[in-house]
Amino acid sequence: MTAILVKAIADLRRRRLQAGVIFVTAFLAVGTGTMALTLLSQTHDPYQTAFDAQKGAHLQVAYDSRTDPAAMAGTSRLIGATAFGGPYPVTSLQFQAGSRKFGVDTIGRDDPGGGVEQLRITAGHWPSTNDEIALTRSFSELNHISVGQQIKVVSVAQEPALTVAAEVVDIDEGSADLSSQHAWVLSTAIPALTVEGSSYYLMTYRFATDPSSAELQADINRIRAALPPGSIVGSLNYVLVRSIFNITNQIVTSVLIAFSIFALAATAAIVANLVTGIVISAYREIGIMKAIGFAPWQVVAVFELQILMPATAACLVGIPLGILASQPLLANSSHALGLAYVPTFSIGLDLLTLAGALLIVALAALLPAFRAGLLKPVVVIANASAPRGRSGRSLRRLATRLRFPRPIALGIGDAFARPARAILTLVAILLGIATVTVALGLPRSFTAINNSETYAGNVDVVVRKSPALSDADALRIINAQPETARVVAETGDNFSVPGIGDPVNARVFRGDSSRLGYLLVAGRWFSGPGEVLAPKALIQDAHLTLGDHFSASLHGSTVRLVLVGEVYEINSLGHSLFMDWATLSTVAPDLTPDAYLITLTPGAAVAAYVQRVAAAQPDLLDVQANDTSIIGPVKVIDTVLLIIAAVIALIGVGGIFNTLLLNTRERVRDTATLKAVGMSPRQVMVMVATSAAVIALVGGIIAVPAGVGLHAYLLDLVSNSAGNDTPSAAYRVFSPLELLALPIIGVLVAVAAALIPGGWAARTNMVEVLHAE
Amino acid sequence: MIELVRLTDVVKVYQGGITGALNGVSLSIAQGEFTAVMGPSGSGKSTLLNLIAGLDRPTSGRVVVGGTELGELGEAGLARFRRDHVGFVFQFFHLLPNLTALENVLIPAQLKGRENADARGRDLLERLGIGEVANRYPAKLSGGQQQRVAIARALINKPTLLLADEPTGALDTNSGDQVMDLLAQLHRDGQTILLVTHDAKLATRHSARVISVTDGKIVDDARLETTDRPAADVVRLRSEETSR
Repeated sequence: MTAILVKAIADLRRRRLQAGVIFVTAFLAVGTGTMALTLLSQTHDPYQTAFDAQKGAHLQVAYDSRTDPAAMAGTSRLIGATAFGGPYPVTSLQFQAGSRKFGVDTIGRDDPGGGVEQLRITAGHWPSTNDEIALTRSFSELNHISVGQQIKVVSVAQEPALTVAAEVVDIDEGSADLSSQHAWVLSTAIPALTVEGSSYYLMTYRFATDPSSAELQADINRIRAALPPGSIVGSLNYVLVRSIFNITNQIVTSVLIAFSIFALAATAAIVANLVTGIVISAYREIGIMKAIGFAPWQVVAVFELQILMPATAACLVGIPLGILASQPLLANSSHALGLAYVPTFSIGLDLLTLAGALLIVALAALLPAFRAGLLKPVVVIANASAPRGRSGRSLRRLATRLRFPRPIALGIGDAFARPARAILTLVAILLGIATVTVALGLPRSFTAINNSETYAGNVDVVVRKSPALSDADALRIINAQPETARVVAETGDNFSVPGIGDPVNARVFRGDSSRLGYLLVAGRWFSGPGEVLAPKALIQDAHLTLGDHFSASLHGSTVRLVLVGEVYEINSLGHSLFMDWATLSTVAPDLTPDAYLITLTPGAAVAAYVQRVAAAQPDLLDVQANDTSIIGPVKVIDTVLLIIAAVIALIGVGGIFNTLLLNTRERVRDTATLKAVGMSPRQVMVMVATSAAVIALVGGIIAVPAGVGLHAYLLDLVSNSAGNDTPSAAYRVFSPLELLALPIIGVLVAVAAALIPGGWAARTNMVEVLHAE
Repeated sequence: MIELVRLTDVVKVYQGGITGALNGVSLSIAQGEFTAVMGPSGSGKSTLLNLIAGLDRPTSGRVVVGGTELGELGEAGLARFRRDHVGFVFQFFHLLPNLTALENVLIPAQLKGRENADARGRDLLERLGIGEVANRYPAKLSGGQQQRVAIARALINKPTLLLADEPTGALDTNSGDQVMDLLAQLHRDGQTILLVTHDAKLATRHSARVISVTDGKIVDDARLETTDRPAADVVRLRSEETSR
């Protein structure tokens, strides 16, 4: 055993550069893998911990304000809930903090504790008077509102001032950047904060065991059947809330897992290449080892150890760094859930990562190491190195026929002289370029989707109206501005759609809403009353197809609808309907807009417009320039993608560098001969760079379509997880020029990676090499 | 006689070497000469050849070939010099295994930018008696055939100087004789040849001049066609020296 160790360590010292390549690639792959596994293992746990600790509500149901409180209280027994909260009176509250106005559903609740949906106070105290309000911490942080700050309620004519008494963490709603938010006041404060038509009741339910979505749907149906029609106006279950909480980490984890598999595959390819190269170049040495008594398995062990030592070092550095890199994301989750952040890692999982990574590396090295172990000493002692690769001749001949200069033709032939090596290198390059393609495309697709969701480029100003201001008055102010080019009024309401348990959020538009820029997956935008669009989840769950007529009910009245298009919309995870104002003219004649989406005339100054409209009605209008910025979770995903792409691209560069290193070392005699017969150093460099460029070009040509395909696949995964199909516009984010440029950039990077081995080849000492026979 | 090669006080010390591989060698070779450099292993004869070929640089002293001061050339200049003025035949042929015989022959011409040297390459192979192997790969050729291919490669750019380092060292006697006859024929056609060998008989059989190198110094410079020293004398002396 000592002899094996001594020989392996001595070889490692001699092959420091190869050891370095293994260390770097294994480190990057293992670091990424550890990060993915750490996140994966922790994605579900924190939510469950917080949900249990805060006795989260499995089901929340909103009831019409006219529903009998006694009947509501009885619903808990009806569905077998072990605990319930409410009925709490809820009102839609608009308030002003600083220069901004916000809307929150404000719940009248006297106690943050109880058997369901306990609210964890993270700052301040629970409201104790009618002029105090508690906000979610997520909302306070997003909008920079702190405890002690005064806010002015603008949705009621009296415009009372409230003091922010507490920041709380509510396990039963998503974060403020993804979901609308609740606020809490004492139940006695609600009447003074309510305008007619803006209130409802909320009941929360908790069961002995975690029910499934289907079970909760059945519970809602039971309640619906037991109460008068139109009593249920909304509902929310914990599965959806958990999805919203976890969606960022889930997407990041999926991306990380996919790409850490890529990284490990690329590393395995590099290791296999490297060991093959070492075996090829050490033929005589292997013969001597066997001649002096090394058994075949001992030869195998020497080669395995040479690889496993740097790989182990890489794991010992990569695993802790992977754990560290995953902590900010975990801390983010803990923070959002109101949990104390505790550095998270699992020794068992990390040991498993270590063992798994070393196993992959050892397996990759095994075949070439076996080849070394099985070599016959008599044969290999007579040969300094293995027979040189003979493939690539046809390529070289083709290049010669095409009148490429000789160094280029030779380089083209060299690229595929050893097909197995070329293929393994191609794998590393392919993964690198494909990942870069994905990292380039996904953020753009996210931006395209974000642009459609935020009306970027189509809406300049968003005006939100207090219920206290009439539609006509708001429109008068807006239309009085000369820069107003187009106004689309918007409101929302909850429909009951057959086949869908939860009430469906309808987005109702007045004006030319077809120009808001929503991305269509299929069909067309609505053009008249009754025509609706919906995302995939609703279409699928309601068993609809384009052109289908169906009935839905609003506040107990039936509305006939026809599905004319599939739209992309991630809010409500795909359960929404888009329709024209006229659709509701008979069933909801008193419908009034919540917001006006305003397009200005070209060149108009947005800031001046905002200022002027806000000044015209400072209390009852919230006027803001349209905010089209990307939401935080998408930024996190974009950043992770960028880092991953850089890591895998680096591994790809390592792969090509490694191959060139092996090629140039293996072909040192040929290079010396070529120099002796007159090849200049520049021509040697050109030859080496050409072989790198050819592999990179072939890799790039395969990788770009693969990357585009992978981009589409991942995009579909993300879309599907949000209840949508991907619109074609989100796929079309690459310009032909870019797709052409990607392999070219790959070639340039490969040529740059070739400079060092090319330089070594160019400096080959002819005398030493040619006389060392 | 036109001087083709001139070495002046050339010293070559290899890194880590205590003594020089060449210790102050001065030498002149005329155009058209067939010169043999002899000496035991480690005497410095191959070093001498490498310096003249521009494969290596002297530690001190001057090497001038065909009027070109090699010390003044950079790496690219030396590569051009080797390509344009020198043909080199190695003991172990050093053919590129991935290229056919003809492709190996054509390499120096193609590196020079002469892409249409096919006819000359084929002609050379015919003249060297191996026209039929033009499309074979080195692995399919005998040692003698490989060395002829190497000679054809050395001649493709019509070099002013043909250098051969132990060209028969890796061949059997019969093949070795054929290669030497070939070099003699080339010399008769006007080719300047500098041959390095440790075989005294081989050196004296075709060369008109035999330079003996020992411990990095020229210890004898015998012009066999002009002196009264019979070749046998040189052979005997060098054999004794080698065996000491």
